[in-house]
Amino acid sequence: MTLTLTLRAEPPARVLAAPLTPQRLRGLNASAVAALSLRCGGETVAVGDLFEVSGAGTEEDELVLAGDLRWFDGIGARMSSGGIVVRGDVGSWAGSEMSGGVLRIFGDAGARLGASYPGTRVGMTGGETVVTGAVGEEAGAGMRRGLIAIGGRTGNGAGLRMLAGTVISLGGIGGEAGLGNKRGSLASGRALEPLPSYAYATRFCPPALRLQLLRARELGLTVPDAMLSGSWSRWSGDRTELARGEILIFDEEEEGE
Amino acid sequence: MSGYALGDTAVDDTFAEAFPMRYARVVITAATTAWALEAAHSMTGFATSVIGCKCEAAIERMLAADETPDGRPGIAVLLFAMDREGVGKRIVERVGQSVMTCPTTACFDGLPGAEKTAALGQTLRYFGDGFQASKVIAGRRYWRIPVMEGEFLVSESVGVGRGVGGGNLVIGAGDEDVALAAAEAAADAMRGEGIALPFPGGIVRSGSKVGALTSKSMPASTNHQLAPTLRAQVDETLVPDGVGALFEIVIDGVSEDAVRAAMRRGLHRAAGAGATHVTAANFGGKLGQFHFPLSDLRDPP
Repeated sequence: MTLTLTLRAEPPARVLAAPLTPQRLRGLNASAVAALSLRCGGETVAVGDLFEVSGAGTEEDELVLAGDLRWFDGIGARMSSGGIVVRGDVGSWAGSEMSGGVLRIFGDAGARLGASYPGTRVGMTGGETVVTGAVGEEAGAGMRRGLIAIGGRTGNGAGLRMLAGTVISLGGIGGEAGLGNKRGSLASGRALEPLPSYAYATRFCPPALRLQLLRARELGLTVPDAMLSGSWSRWSGDRTELARGEILIFDEEEEGE
Repeated sequence: MSGYALGDTAVDDTFAEAFPMRYARVVITAATTAWALEAAHSMTGFATSVIGCKCEAAIERMLAADETPDGRPGIAVLLFAMDREGVGKRIVERVGQSVMTCPTTACFDGLPGAEKTAALGQTLRYFGDGFQASKVIAGRRYWRIPVMEGEFLVSESVGVGRGVGGGNLVIGAGDEDVALAAAEAAADAMRGEGIALPFPGGIVRSGSKVGALTSKSMPASTNHQLAPTLRAQVDETLVPDGVGALFEIVIDGVSEDAVRAAMRRGLHRAAGAGATHVTAANFGGKLGQFHFPLSDLRDPP
């Protein structure tokens, strides 16, 4: 039986939701989950005061969070296995430093999606995150491994100091994408002006990106067929680092052909 | 040799003798079915017998776009060798030389989740000369090897399973063209999931025996007992009266059941396609772990 947490009402302050990971809730029944505490502003509140809890935490099922969770930060942060499905918008730091599992957000997400926490170098090191809506700034900052796939537009600074891994944003990526990127891949479904430290290489249909787009589709993202078989421009960078990273930009002209 | 009849076809009371082998399945995809076939034909070329080619390989089946990892048309290829090390060496050689070189292809593990694996992209990546990169997608690692066309995408490793090699049918008729037509029909019926027919067109005309009468160094030589031209020359001939040509179909499969089912399909199709005689090759039952008596195949599939 799926463990479902449905938001009762908007919380009085921002909530750190990082403890709500499948591995920490595994084996707990609804009342045990409701008794867990979360930080809300400067206070501690019970999960049951914020959410209506139903079901139980099992190894097989996903944790479902439902409601407008824009005041909830760190959803799925440091998760290592299992799955979280969010039906609604989420705050910042979702999936930060996660190392495994699947985080699916059917809504928008705030800043620093899958990124590193302040003071640490490495962000997401594994797993998959899908966001159907738009995402804030610096998605995938410090990312080392894994996949972030975004249906909407992603804010500025995506892939900041990225080590490796992949950030795909079908709705386009904001400015200063991939600053300090070593080996990571950024893919933008809309036009993008790369930083001067990136150099144009070629146009091609990247086979690995095709596989990643198919995987994102499997996880619930709507991926146009044209992006699967169309050509993408490859820009190599960041030349201030190893220049082994890439920005792939979909050739929109072909989409309508 | 006594046996039974399927219509006008005499079936010997004998058995096919087969051996344990290890196998891998790779899925080759390409922009078009034609290019996937080019790669598959090249990869499975000169892979008829472990004795002479170090492995046995064949196309298993065509795959529709919705059956492949990257949504493009594909071909499933089975490759058999005597052990996992052999599978590992041959798969790297053949994917490296025949698939990576072929325009538009990608190559995927066709046995995901297998307990045992052999390196593929993990080894081939060095062709990228330091410019290669990897991606972990849905828990599986792939290597992106930059090539003149763009990139070759290949699975890090392939699963290695336990299979059966050397199942066989020997199909004969009075005339060569009738015998060949019956063998072709049988081969068509035997192909399918889990089955590789490694010889040209699935058919071998030069079936062999272990060793040789005239040499101690020859690992194999012609099956003189089944050579029609020697019928009057050797005392121990096994060519029945009225049979002018015989063809063997060697069957490698992913399991004993898969081989048995393929043999049953082939036997009944051959009988319906003009074969007057069907037998099987064995080594007296002393060498192979798996025995497939033709008497077990009497009921149609």
